[in-house]
Amino acid sequence: MGKPKALVDKGKCLACGGCISVCPQDAITMCSSKAIVSKENCIDCGICIQTCPVGAISNEVY
Amino acid sequence: MKYDVVVVGSGPAGSVTARFAAESGANVLIIERRQEVGVPVLCGEGISKKVDDFKVLEGRRWIANNMEGARIFSPDGAMVKLAADMAGDETGYVLYRDIFDQELARGAIRAGAELMLNTCAVDVLKENGKVNGVKAKQFGEEFDIEADIIVGADGVESKIGRWAGMKTTLKPYDLETCVQYTLSNVEFDKEYCDFYLGKKIAPGGYVWVFPKGKDIANVGIGILASLSEPGMPLKLLDKFIDSHPELKKGEPLRFLAGAVPVAEPIESVRDNLLLVGDAARQVDPITGGGLMASIEAGEIAGETIGKAVGEQRFDKKMLSPYEEKLENTVYKKLKRNYVVKEIVLGMEDKTLNMLADSLKDYKFDELSTLSLVKALVLKHPSLLIKLKPLMKLSKM
Repeated sequence: MGKPKALVDKGKCLACGGCISVCPQDAITMCSSKAIVSKENCIDCGICIQTCPVGAISNEVY
Repeated sequence: MKYDVVVVGSGPAGSVTARFAAESGANVLIIERRQEVGVPVLCGEGISKKVDDFKVLEGRRWIANNMEGARIFSPDGAMVKLAADMAGDETGYVLYRDIFDQELARGAIRAGAELMLNTCAVDVLKENGKVNGVKAKQFGEEFDIEADIIVGADGVESKIGRWAGMKTTLKPYDLETCVQYTLSNVEFDKEYCDFYLGKKIAPGGYVWVFPKGKDIANVGIGILASLSEPGMPLKLLDKFIDSHPELKKGEPLRFLAGAVPVAEPIESVRDNLLLVGDAARQVDPITGGGLMASIEAGEIAGETIGKAVGEQRFDKKMLSPYEEKLENTVYKKLKRNYVVKEIVLGMEDKTLNMLADSLKDYKFDELSTLSLVKALVLKHPSLLIKLKPLMKLSKM
């Protein structure tokens, strides 16, 4: 089983950029007005999940 | 493609920097990720009338509402009023932030700057360890933009600084996570911007009601990310609106999420590189307002860049006057307010209630966070001990 990684629900993301500003791994980028997490760089610290004002980020096991 | 200066981001910080750089003779390009300057709006849209001193805006179309003052509500509902009759004319406006941003960008373009929309920076270009441009993407195609100076005006999520090797990652303790509705068909006093405090209302932040007109207002919430849970800002804002009948009957015209740095300003100058605005954390850590600091910093950045282009020297030493001038002006206030932010965060609701109660009939000489702090110290000299770190930063 793989490790959990942050996953953005594109239907909920409002592109505020908060998750990007707190990501210690620089693993999140904005693409077509949605935040996208790079699975390679994510360390599942959960900071972005806690930060998201609308609850659009969860951790998923890949 | 080669310019003297490439500015990444057409928000207020980027546009004002571009304007003053172009006015002092630099060849400036602004790139903007979005397809329209200022849209979507990510802002509570409040600003001090001090903005008029800067002469960077034409006309009055960007003003939605002229404020009489501000009211702060403590957790138990005690009200502290900072009004124009006490504060001279130093109150505020509620903006149409999209028009505001577009007017600032027009100012930059009139001064000679170029603007490319739909253009996203994907990396910085480097040569011999020095930044010498940005890699950009427009309509799926990547291309290089060479420049002697790169300005990162790319907001709270700034990547330019990171790509250049600067430490820009915010701690959750230094970020407010926000949502806001623009509600129509609401009833309230349109003369005042209201702030609601309390751990149950907005942990480490506040709820704001900023009227844009007779029956329309921005109703938003900011929560300190370190005290938040997934989706908490939205849940608490809905709860707040539900418990206020005058707001509950409103219907939203706009909904937005936002993130506001409430940090101390960070390193903002490297060889060939400047950061400005939210990217440099130029935001008042108490109010979360960043417009005034961005405009002030943008003007200094633009003038510094103008001189650098004039002398054809782009090293850190040449650009450092930008940071030095900020240290003596804008940063004094931001650093002072960061200390105050930490003190306020440590206060229990009952302390806030007591302080608000003691200021109920206080006549403020100015509408500012500083005058609030002064009033509190006057009423409660024991607070001075907590405020001691401030003495090092500025003479109160």
